Amino acid sequence: MDVAVPPSTKTPPDPGPVRTADPVARLQGLDVSLERNGVRSPILHGVDLEVGRGEIVGVVGESGSGKSVMSMAMLGLLPESSRPRIDGTLEVAGMDLRTAPPARLREARRSRLGVVFQDPMTSLNPTMLVGRQVAEKAGSPQEAVRLMRAVGIPQPERRYRSYPHELSGGLRQRVMIAMALAGRPELVVADEPTTALDVTVQAQILRLLADMRDEIGCSVVMITHDLGVAAQVADRIAVMYRGRIVETGTTRQVLEHPQHPYTLGLLGSRLSLDSDRSRPLWSLPAEAAGTAGAASGGCAFASRCRFAVEACAEGVPTLDEVAAGDGHAEHRAACFESGRVGDRGVSRTLLDPLPPLPDHGRGAPLIQAAELECTFQVRDEHGRRARLGALRGVTFDLQPGESVAVVGESGSGKSTLLRVAGHLEKRFTGSVRGPRGTDIQMVFQDAGSSLTPWMTVREVLHERLPRGTDRAEKESRARAILDRVGLPPAVLDAIPGELSGGQRQRVVLARATIVPPRVLLCDEPTSALDVSVAANVLNLINEMRRELGIAVMFVTHDLAVARIVGDRIAVMYLGRIVEVGRAEDVIARPQHPYTRNLVAAVPRPGTIVEPLPGEPASALDPPTGCAFHPRCPVAVPECSSTVVGIQLTAVDGRSTADVARRHEVACLRRGEI
Amino acid sequence: MADVLTRADDRPSAGAAPRPPGAVPDPPPRWRLTARRGRSGTNTLARRVLDWTLIGLIVALTVLALVAPLLAPHDPVQPVGPPKLPPFSDGFLLGTDQIGRDTFSRVLVGLRTSWLLSIAVTAVGLVMGSLVGVVAGVAGGWVDSVLMRTTEVFLALPSMLVAVAVAAALGPGLFNTFLAVSIVWWPYYARIVRGEVRAIMARPHVEAARMAGVGRARLVRRHVLPGVVPTAIVTASLDIGNVVMVLASLSFLGLGQPAPAPELGADTSRALVEILDAWWIPLVPGVAVMLLSLLSNLAGDALRHRIAHRR
Repeated sequence: MDVAVPPSTKTPPDPGPVRTADPVARLQGLDVSLERNGVRSPILHGVDLEVGRGEIVGVVGESGSGKSVMSMAMLGLLPESSRPRIDGTLEVAGMDLRTAPPARLREARRSRLGVVFQDPMTSLNPTMLVGRQVAEKAGSPQEAVRLMRAVGIPQPERRYRSYPHELSGGLRQRVMIAMALAGRPELVVADEPTTALDVTVQAQILRLLADMRDEIGCSVVMITHDLGVAAQVADRIAVMYRGRIVETGTTRQVLEHPQHPYTLGLLGSRLSLDSDRSRPLWSLPAEAAGTAGAASGGCAFASRCRFAVEACAEGVPTLDEVAAGDGHAEHRAACFESGRVGDRGVSRTLLDPLPPLPDHGRGAPLIQAAELECTFQVRDEHGRRARLGALRGVTFDLQPGESVAVVGESGSGKSTLLRVAGHLEKRFTGSVRGPRGTDIQMVFQDAGSSLTPWMTVREVLHERLPRGTDRAEKESRARAILDRVGLPPAVLDAIPGELSGGQRQRVVLARATIVPPRVLLCDEPTSALDVSVAANVLNLINEMRRELGIAVMFVTHDLAVARIVGDRIAVMYLGRIVEVGRAEDVIARPQHPYTRNLVAAVPRPGTIVEPLPGEPASALDPPTGCAFHPRCPVAVPECSSTVVGIQLTAVDGRSTADVARRHEVACLRRGEI
Repeated sequence: MADVLTRADDRPSAGAAPRPPGAVPDPPPRWRLTARRGRSGTNTLARRVLDWTLIGLIVALTVLALVAPLLAPHDPVQPVGPPKLPPFSDGFLLGTDQIGRDTFSRVLVGLRTSWLLSIAVTAVGLVMGSLVGVVAGVAGGWVDSVLMRTTEVFLALPSMLVAVAVAAALGPGLFNTFLAVSIVWWPYYARIVRGEVRAIMARPHVEAARMAGVGRARLVRRHVLPGVVPTAIVTASLDIGNVVMVLASLSFLGLGQPAPAPELGADTSRALVEILDAWWIPLVPGVAVMLLSLLSNLAGDALRHRIAHRR
């Protein structure tokens, strides 16, 4: 990042969050409504937001909070087809976006604004060299190469001539950032820039965004659903709910003294490595069905709020300054009861502990998989035939009633392992023994697409019950299971399209457990859900597995989630299990360098984790020996040797016959570090 | 309106040139719960009114076709007035033909033949094609290969030519025409339905249903087929205009009903010699065919819109 300042500019970069009287963006009383299918619905209500020069503002909100509409409005990119109606003040980079002529808007977007979208694959032009796309905004190929080097793309001259599909996700996002930074913009809007990336790469991109701000002094508006991501880099945080900013303040104020119950809820349902495993996760009550968009009069959050009083139903609280300790920056919250919320603060009432795990004894393993190898014929980025080793020798077992969390980045083979265990994948060698048929059930990542769109929930549940069951009994069992997963009986007549993401995932859980299976396979069931909803679903999985004695195999990329659901954790890297052991052991004393890095990469507010260099190697061409050695901080030459087999070996040589207590690691240097 | 017209013109009219093998209509609209932006255009009030008007017109036309003999003012087969009367003559709205039969009555009854036959051909093609398509799509493997290669052989043959050959071999007649066109019409549906079945079978909900222990028959019936229906219906409704044209072309070539029966294509061709003398006699049935084909295309498009924008 040596060349980020073009020679033409003499002013030194503006370091740090200095708020000036001249904000880069000023939104005041911003109302935006959009039209869809001829129906106009208000999206933003009186949003006030100022972005100072060189400031990073994190805008945090769940789906439907209007955060993306706000970012599009700030770029003047609201789609013409939805006939946006904008009222209030919307000044960005010194011009009024409501009245600016299109030509000026384009000019401003080219030279004064930058944008980074969530999915760089779809926002880069697939038919154009990435270098040329950067050059389009930067003005010249030389400048493009310089920018690409500045954002940390290795060999930028060579990468200049790549197409987007030839780059990894992290590199693509770097290309997007290079484009955003071209022309030294005053403001960069980043809409979920790290959501589509792996944990270790996410840390790199966050670091890059913060560094870029320090170097060229641009302001950044960072839109995210994850308070933890915002907390790592943002100077100030604005929390949005249903088109309103409900709380804003410095990162510190918001995290340490949240004044709005919604912020409190978001903080509470965030998982960290210290979350209490023995109790249900603290979560916001689920949104009552059918209230979406029906914010009639009162505070939109009232129906989910533990602090709600009568006044909440009658008027919308304004975003007022709250009595905050450090007076130099404003801390505002839109809540009548913010005083009470503030007092309650972090000292939440403890929830009742989860019921103890039923004891299954240590019998024969329920699923036993040995030496699994799974190779797919695919085409690489040049269209050549290639072999993708999704699993490269995995030995694994699952005890009755136990839960194992499989953690890994994309391409680690974790989902393939789950599919093999569920008999959904037949192209493998090795052996799998375990229950078949309906004794093994699965919860998929995307609940929406795993439910048949035209079938009602009733049909979906009824068809799981044995044929010949009488209708009344089917009905009563369906109602019972819906009640168990916390859905009202009215849901029976709904089709998936009418349900929210969380509700759909509950329906999927209901389908999987209406006849209790022996094994429940979960493929990232919460990664597509909002944080507060995800906590609810995790709680449910945890409770049901205890009540029904179901063994769970849970695939996730998030170590904090793995810790909550898993008795044991297995860490995978490029088709192999590199470490496996009791959740406590793996988190507290990670032995494999990769696991250590994963543990370190779990976001903690206020700290940017030191990112692991590089990206996961391609599964098409895994490094020899230990696949992790190119990124490993402690690698020695022998690690790349093909001769040395790197096997899972008990830590400290403490081999034990009890699988559930074993802690094994596949690393040549175990014990030395 | 402009996009509707280009859409209707997108498909090569089967009468003018048989569909080349591989000609696929617009990407099939999927079963959608939320309106999509883009392809289906805006969903304004004007658009909705227009769509429902077109669908209403085609329904009205079907009713009209069913009761045509009752509505015809004269006997369509017998001469009832002086020959070659121009349109808007007293008592003869569209004039009379070369031997004095009432053109209006002939068009009305001819329209009935053309339209009802087109519906029948499309329905048979749809059912047969769907059957083949579903079996191929669900079974996969060699069954799929055999069925699809057979289908492709049919698609590779110029359908008009085959229809002419079959109709000629069986001899002229309403039922034989119907048979001839049906035989060349199903492969098109087979391919579209098979593609759609494959696409739905690959969707996660099918895997999830299988995992939930749903049997094969129910899987196809409840988890796959309902997703195919909208596509099939829309494809058929867009296609029916082509059937109208092909049937009219066959009839024009003398392969429809035998002589005295009123038929639009045949009437056009028989009266062609009169075009310099009394141009309206061949023109009126010809224009009727054109309007029928156009209306059914537009109504098909309207139906597609409505299905895409449901809810």
